[in-house]
Amino acid sequence: MHEAMNSRRSEKLRWLAILIAVVLMTMIYGLSGCGSSDGGSEESGGTSDLAAQSTLGSGSKTLRILSGSENKELEPIIEKYAKKNHVKIEMTYQGSLDIMRQLGEKNFGYDAVWPASSIWMNAGDTLHRVKHAESVCQSPVVFGIRKPLAEELGFVDREVSVNDILEAILAGRLKFCMTSATQSNSGASAYIGFIHALLGSPDVITMDDLQDQDMRKKLAQLLSGIDRSSGSSDWLKDMFLKGDYDAMVNYECLMINADEQLQAAKKDPLYIIYPYDGLSIADSPLAYVDQGDRKAEERFLDFQEYLLSDDTQDRIQQTGRRTTYTGISDKNKVIFRKEWGFQPDRVLSPFKMPEADVLDECLNLYQTVLRKPSLTVYCLDYSGSMEGEGNKQLVAAMEQVLIQKNAAENYLQASPDDVTILIPFESSVIGTFTAEGNGKELEDLYDTVDKLEPMGGTDMYNAMERGLDLLDEYDLSKYTTAFIVMTDGESEDYYNEFREAWEEDGRNIPVFSIMYGDADSSQLDQLAQLTNARVFDGREDLIGAFRKVRGYN
Amino acid sequence: MKAKLIGLIVVCGVIGVAIGYKTSSDRNRLTTLKGYVGGEKIGFLEDEDVANMLQKKYHLTLDYSKAGSLDMVTADKEGKDFLWPSSQTALELYKQEVGKPVRSDTIFNTPIVIYTRKAVSDALKKEGVVSVSAGLSGSADVYTVDLEKLVGMVEDGTSWSSVGLPQLYGNVTVSSTDPTKSNSGNMFAGLLANTLAGGVATESNIDEYLPEIESIFEKSGYMESSSADIFSEFLKMGMGAKPLVVGYENQLLEFASQQPSKWDKVKDDVVMLYPVPTVWSSHVLIALDDQASGAVDALQDEEIQDLAWKKHGFRTDVSGGSADLSAYDGIGIEETVTQVGQMPNYKTMKKIIDYLDQ
Repeated sequence: MHEAMNSRRSEKLRWLAILIAVVLMTMIYGLSGCGSSDGGSEESGGTSDLAAQSTLGSGSKTLRILSGSENKELEPIIEKYAKKNHVKIEMTYQGSLDIMRQLGEKNFGYDAVWPASSIWMNAGDTLHRVKHAESVCQSPVVFGIRKPLAEELGFVDREVSVNDILEAILAGRLKFCMTSATQSNSGASAYIGFIHALLGSPDVITMDDLQDQDMRKKLAQLLSGIDRSSGSSDWLKDMFLKGDYDAMVNYECLMINADEQLQAAKKDPLYIIYPYDGLSIADSPLAYVDQGDRKAEERFLDFQEYLLSDDTQDRIQQTGRRTTYTGISDKNKVIFRKEWGFQPDRVLSPFKMPEADVLDECLNLYQTVLRKPSLTVYCLDYSGSMEGEGNKQLVAAMEQVLIQKNAAENYLQASPDDVTILIPFESSVIGTFTAEGNGKELEDLYDTVDKLEPMGGTDMYNAMERGLDLLDEYDLSKYTTAFIVMTDGESEDYYNEFREAWEEDGRNIPVFSIMYGDADSSQLDQLAQLTNARVFDGREDLIGAFRKVRGYN
Repeated sequence: MKAKLIGLIVVCGVIGVAIGYKTSSDRNRLTTLKGYVGGEKIGFLEDEDVANMLQKKYHLTLDYSKAGSLDMVTADKEGKDFLWPSSQTALELYKQEVGKPVRSDTIFNTPIVIYTRKAVSDALKKEGVVSVSAGLSGSADVYTVDLEKLVGMVEDGTSWSSVGLPQLYGNVTVSSTDPTKSNSGNMFAGLLANTLAGGVATESNIDEYLPEIESIFEKSGYMESSSADIFSEFLKMGMGAKPLVVGYENQLLEFASQQPSKWDKVKDDVVMLYPVPTVWSSHVLIALDDQASGAVDALQDEEIQDLAWKKHGFRTDVSGGSADLSAYDGIGIEETVTQVGQMPNYKTMKKIIDYLDQ
């Protein structure tokens, strides 16, 4: 059985190698262009994907780190080192599972990795290049529920199990947000915790356990309680704060940050629950990836030593992360406020993660069977300016998403219940094409994408309004619904018309967008702000942007 | 392509000049030996005192690449002068795969131990699984664990809460590295085989115990692949994450000696349990050529052996298995590790690993 798994995985890796080599080449060239001119961690209201890269400090010496998004909060601490030592530290943020996939590639454009959990790092290190791995800090994955609701559910001041939470969800009393289990560590950890609890807490989850139909049924119900999905933990927190949600699954440290912001906004805080039978801990390992550059290794070790020094560990602890060998210091305990449910003195005792093959199967099961089905409306720009390279890249990107063999390489497969709607547009809508499920119908959409010829002007608003109309045919409570709009130019300004239609629709459907060519970022930011979604930058890597946005849905 | 080639030639030239310079500037000829080394000895090899002594007294530099103990035997040995695995099993494998080495000898030993926390060892003491005896003059108490009883608890599915530790989730398990990938996990598999067989497991009786060994490892779920990583997780993640962890005795001693301020913070809570019986991890140097044969003598030098013990916690032949404990005041160390069994032979271990790997 192992052998079959391994060969399947190596097959998978081979495919990935091809895909990511292409992506990386584009990225490396791309980043060297925009990274330096960026010069800082500019965010446009937290909605832009441009924040996926930060350059801290300056100098001719560079340290490039591929990191989980939860480390964004540590930037001031990193910057302090970068400035003092005249090192330029480039932080690139990705989901832990993305980091795992990249680490398996021959061409790896970073000096170090810093994912949320060592599980993904070890699984990705198939080329044995990872050295000097050290856990920088730890944070458990916990539930945060708006305090009045937590009280109503009877979850305050007592031990709560995953099954208690499940019952509340099944009774329709609780809805929650979590990151995608196949893109981000916090979502993956929570999801595997659910499986573990639903199986009646076995010593460890086995392949056979995953066939348990009762578990599958309950888990699908549990996941149907998900309000909004997301590809990154840090962005999930931002989305939560802007929206009107009951609860989220996230790292303890990001919950502290969320609660501080809620308090400042005079809103109900989140009450934190540590489910005793489904707890996992992110150990945040920082490791050097050896590609034979001795100087980079020395720079890495010096930076790591700084992070692990007593002073820095104390500062990291002040951000709500657990550090040091002796737990949280008395001085820092005030950050972990008891009235918000934080338990600084709790012995964190996680359930046992299954072995690697079982983990892989859990993730495939999530993507193809168990997650809440998604209803995705792609509005794709076929205006004249897309002719040539733009159209070629768009077709290549859609091939990664629609052709299921490709999608599986990134755990982005469609499920039998997914609905995919395609609305190609120029100044007007070219047509609408719908595919239900994950079979031939879906792959046929790719032919449509491939055959259409770009021409004419640009109006995305019109296409989106048509999309809203099409959604009337569906019971959206059953789906994670989103628009994915890709455009390369400025649209005629019908924003106000669209806003009215969107508000009237009232179903709060997020509009994620991918910026390409000469797209007007202010138009896209406007949409992201209105719909609490996010803009992805596809100017340098359109295929990568499509993959990322797909991971959010 | 052409430019690359020229670049390469230039780089090689520079290295050549640098080496030439280095050699001529040294009054005595300095020999650099290359070899594969198990990761747990890197602290020792990177120790400046060790490197200086090897240079000054023996005109030797050891240039290493990290490799797993069994992997290095089957790896491409082109350009290598020595292998330095962490187990006798690797030497047996070498003899079988390659033949008789130019020379081989044990440089130092360290026993397999189980690391835990005070609250856990107290609970296991109440269960009669852990025993405590007073340490020698002034040194801390020494803890031993009856492996047969502990394995019994794991197999019976004893919950932590039933032994008075409700703060720990789930059942009693012992975490080790993946026995198919890492030496400490591999040796723990051998130790389990011996425990189940009630003596040294052999090729003829091992089949009977394979399913039991597999089920014990299965209970651990996801396993780390590096002994260093699992030890560091044990220290950092607190009691809850990994209550019982398999490691080498020298890991704790090296940590205490090299990172005294960090050790100071955890020393009252961390407990080292000597399994009864345990097995030695033997660091055997396998010389692949005559040059490397001299490295055996160098590493067995009394002063170097003294550094190996005092700074890195490796027990050496010089002290005959019984160690000078004064270097590690306040740590519960057995002066002489007497309850040591032999590891099962290579063929038996191969059966175990093949079974676990399928």
